[in-house]
Amino acid sequence: MIEKTINFSRRSFVGKTATAAAGISIAPGVFLHQVANAKPADQAATSEVRWGMLINTNKCATGCTACVSACNEENGIQSNDRPESDPQWIRKVKLRDTQTGHVTSLPMMCQHCENPPCVDVCPTGASMKREDGIVLVDKHICIGCRYCMMACPYKARSFVHETITDQKDYAPRGKGTVESCTMCVHRVDDGGTPACVEACNAAEHGAMIFGDLKDPQSEISKELEKHGGKQIRADLRLNTGVRYQGI
Amino acid sequence: MLQLKQLMHKSLLAILGSAAIAASSIAVADSALLDIAKAKSDQCVADTKEMRANHMEKILHQRDKTLREGIRTKQHSLKECINCHVEKNSAARFGDNKHFCSSCHNFAAVTIDCFQCHADRPDSDKKHSLNTSSFPHYADNSAEGVSK
Repeated sequence: MIEKTINFSRRSFVGKTATAAAGISIAPGVFLHQVANAKPADQAATSEVRWGMLINTNKCATGCTACVSACNEENGIQSNDRPESDPQWIRKVKLRDTQTGHVTSLPMMCQHCENPPCVDVCPTGASMKREDGIVLVDKHICIGCRYCMMACPYKARSFVHETITDQKDYAPRGKGTVESCTMCVHRVDDGGTPACVEACNAAEHGAMIFGDLKDPQSEISKELEKHGGKQIRADLRLNTGVRYQGI
Repeated sequence: MLQLKQLMHKSLLAILGSAAIAASSIAVADSALLDIAKAKSDQCVADTKEMRANHMEKILHQRDKTLREGIRTKQHSLKECINCHVEKNSAARFGDNKHFCSSCHNFAAVTIDCFQCHADRPDSDKKHSLNTSSFPHYADNSAEGVSK
């Protein structure tokens, strides 16, 4: 059952209408289209784009943890050798079908929901969703109550139990706050790709695609249109920004 | 009436005297502070008086813009404060009197929690370029020809 409830942007709608009405095209089939590159630093993120990820579990190698180590390296997440309380933004999950014995391996992280339960339950407004769909924790006002951790169906958030020093200057992290995957927002704002996606490509698995779900010409939208993609716990109607193939 | 005049005169002297003492103690404190931490560049985003009084307003405003809206201009970003005011691999960490921020905050006994999460040292020793169109860090001083 494939559920695709991504809303196309106003821009693409206007673009299509204008093209149909006035025939604004360079050549047949070739249209002027603005590619979502790095936005200027002084401009706010807009709802013209919605960042998302598509993960092909058939390409995701069992035992490979390139995405996890890339995430830890990028965001300065270090283990205190206490796995019960170590922060974790992305983890590998192995599923085994008991009937066929088929093993599926996939990375699990914040699904960047359109209707995020973590935002609903936050008593301070620290848990928030940016205009472009990236769900973040505003650690300036997070009180560490951990309601969001309880609310998240994907177990995507971590509480920082121990003092952290020598953080990356683009990824502030501190004791007493909740944190989770930021979709490498510092890279995205700079026109880049999240570290996990980059690492997956570098490991030549190519199981992760990052892109704008609202841009019908983006690689991720084309792939979703062609082969579809599932939401995990689609029944919750969260409209996740991270979609999976092969599950 | 004369008594009242004398009384006023005395109290005026007392006020002037205490003001002079206060001014001298500020001057001592000022010079002591100035010795401590130096920036990599001569120019800040605003003059010293303005920065001392209002730096917290500037970075508070910037923090919400950056986190919530993704506006990543560098003029009032804490990351750029640190880039300019602290050396890479500086031995002085936040809390030490020689760290730029704590040199003043220790003196003024104002506790801040910025560095519970934020890095208190820059990632690189690269000094950002001044007065470029993409980086209007020192736009107000552009006429002075600050680039070095």
